Amino acid sequence: MRIHRHPELVQRLAAAHALGTLRGGARRRFEAIAREQPVVRAAALEWQSRVASLNELQRPAEPAPQVWTRIHNLVQADVERTAMAQARTPAEERGVWHSLALWRGAGLTGVFTLLLAAVFVPDLMRDLQQRSAQVAELERRLLATPEVRYVSVLNDEQARPAMLITFDPKNNRLSLQRVGAYQEAADRSLQLWALPPGAAPRSLGVLTPERLQQLAVQESAVREVPALAISLEPLGGVPSERGPTGPVLFQGALIQKQI
Amino acid sequence: MSVPTDDDHLMTLIERIAQRDEAALKALYDLTARKLYGLSLRVVGSAEAAEDALQESFLHVWRNAGDYRATLSPPMAWLGLIVRSRSLDILRRRAAERSHLTQELDETLADTLDGDTPDPLDTILASQQAWALHQCLGQLEPKQREVISLAYLRDLSHRELSERLALPLGTVKTWIRRGLDRLRDCMARFA
Repeated sequence: MRIHRHPELVQRLAAAHALGTLRGGARRRFEAIAREQPVVRAAALEWQSRVASLNELQRPAEPAPQVWTRIHNLVQADVERTAMAQARTPAEERGVWHSLALWRGAGLTGVFTLLLAAVFVPDLMRDLQQRSAQVAELERRLLATPEVRYVSVLNDEQARPAMLITFDPKNNRLSLQRVGAYQEAADRSLQLWALPPGAAPRSLGVLTPERLQQLAVQESAVREVPALAISLEPLGGVPSERGPTGPVLFQGALIQKQI
Repeated sequence: MSVPTDDDHLMTLIERIAQRDEAALKALYDLTARKLYGLSLRVVGSAEAAEDALQESFLHVWRNAGDYRATLSPPMAWLGLIVRSRSLDILRRRAAERSHLTQELDETLADTLDGDTPDPLDTILASQQAWALHQCLGQLEPKQREVISLAYLRDLSHRELSERLALPLGTVKTWIRRGLDRLRDCMARFA
């Protein structure tokens, strides 16, 4: 049937299509006709836009304040990811080393540098000294870099990663990074527990609401502990000997790195 | 609200968000979150799920604000579509995870149908077309209005509506058809 000759019917089908009550074969037939016939397509689009106005007519309600905190955290993570991706890009632009023009230019520069060197040898010496100072500084920093010996990713109930944890035995430092959207209420604290086999959970510390943080922990507290967990506790946490009192939100295996 | 919240202002914010301006995202959130949360709440029926939907929606806005201009939509219409679509995703995901949710929803649905008062319209934020639809919906029987709203907002078929509202299938079909006919006549006057 050439439905575009029946404006009343086109309107009725377009309205039901937009509302979502036109289903199955009838919906597919209508969509096929709309793709073919501009008049029908126009009616469909007009009704889609009309019906979508229902979205704007709902009674407003106040979302909980932590929703914005969660959005803010996710956006921050997004920004950091982008920044890291951008920081990596220059290293990938090494293709330039294969450029013939560059090597020709470098050749000429080399000759020129020799000429200059003859004149400015004292300057070159100073430059060399600076460089060896830089190397020494890099070595010093490398030594200061944390040695990550233990790693753990704690997941939530839906197996989504919520917390990345690393342990550096050189500095007795446990580093935590929140990776999910979870944000505890202002009157609650997250508490981190070691779950030693055949023994009661031991508290490793109470978390602040920040996304990144570090806890001072001795290696003995995590050695041969196969798993970690995070529970939701009253603000400030609970004493270790009492064990977790609130729900366990995240948990995961603690892995000793051998690579 | 003391801040001018017309379409131009919202569009400027969305453009700034496309330029990675976080302050603009916060400003957009402050202006529209109540409205959009209300929508999400109506779709998913629980505060927790509605908050998830709102969060996902604003993250979507953050990542896709650059696509806004090409849609030619008024800003609230664009935001409304994002929130409804995220909310429906969450609704489907949760329904798949937990079948008991259907029960909660049924109760919410029954409640909504009892409420006869037309939803108040925040005219500052609504687009022209939403204002027209609001006027036209006001001319329908409250039950016609509710069934039409629910069909769209929760993406329910005639059969699902009849089951969840405990109404005969024929009644649901008639209410929707007559309601849409009257809307058509009414909306034509605003075109």
